Amino acid sequence: MRSLIVIPAYNEEENIGKVIDRVKQYDIDYLVVNDCSTDSTGAILDEKGIQHLDLPINLGIAGVTRLGFNYAHDNDYDCVVCIDGDGQHLPEYVKDLMKEIENGCDYVVGSRFLSEKKPWSMRMLGSRLLCFLIFLKTRRKVTDPTSGMRALGRKVIDEFDKSMNFYAEPDALCHLLREGYNVKEIQVKMKERDGGVSYFANPFKSVYYMLCEILSIIFIQ
Amino acid sequence: MSVSLRLGLLIASLSVLIFIITTVAHKRLNIRYSIVWILWALLSLLMAIFPEIFYGLSDLLGIQMPVNTVFLIMTALLYALTFYVYITMTKQTDQIVKLTYEIAYLKKQLEEMKKK
Repeated sequence: MRSLIVIPAYNEEENIGKVIDRVKQYDIDYLVVNDCSTDSTGAILDEKGIQHLDLPINLGIAGVTRLGFNYAHDNDYDCVVCIDGDGQHLPEYVKDLMKEIENGCDYVVGSRFLSEKKPWSMRMLGSRLLCFLIFLKTRRKVTDPTSGMRALGRKVIDEFDKSMNFYAEPDALCHLLREGYNVKEIQVKMKERDGGVSYFANPFKSVYYMLCEILSIIFIQ
Repeated sequence: MSVSLRLGLLIASLSVLIFIITTVAHKRLNIRYSIVWILWALLSLLMAIFPEIFYGLSDLLGIQMPVNTVFLIMTALLYALTFYVYITMTKQTDQIVKLTYEIAYLKKQLEEMKKK
């Protein structure tokens, strides 16, 4: 089975080198997608000889992951694992995700809360709301719908390669559950980001994201 | 509709029509996209010349002031047109993503060929 690790990166000069060093230990193909970073991320990627795509314009996270799927589709990979370029996702778990794909799953989500308890922060309140909506729509219990650490099998890669309507994780997950794909969650640990700024540091963006996800789950997926 | 409103509508729609046609002639607007605007200007011209159509329509819809029928039609047209723009925008966003991918992928392959 040929697998590819897709790592979107936007202004991650502090983290990307470390992340790739960890990924390289596992001897799996990887691809960094540099979303037209304005800092030295591009230079670091060139200098260290890291496999990457340099985008000429900034597409945003949804577009970037989709490009990763396009690349996997064109290069005939059987499995794609997405991990973030900010060091939150530990490459130790990539093999576990891949194993589940090999066992016949179509989509595997690395969940932080399968056996751990979910804390009561604002962000997790949002997560609970999304879990509830997905349950209403699909009658399936999920624990971590916003997790960006996921693995895709061939069928799902083909679907994500073509469709533009899988902006973010929660509604993509909802869609796959409704379409009857074999979806599984496994327990993973995540770290706080090492450095740099998160997209969700801006409260307006968080609210916008939640609104998009809620409407998408209720009306579309 | 009052005479002054009709006159205003007449002058406005005529100047809009002329403006659109010169814009297309100067190649600042695609002919395909200009058609909807030309039709719109013609419609408002029609309104100014034959307001009787709107009197009849207002009676039919139970609207007391014909000018409100004009507003209603204009607003509905604006909605339709904006929605059409959003559809086009979606299509173009998708096309941009595809092009971006092609460029980035070609650039990567080019780099690899240079190294060999």
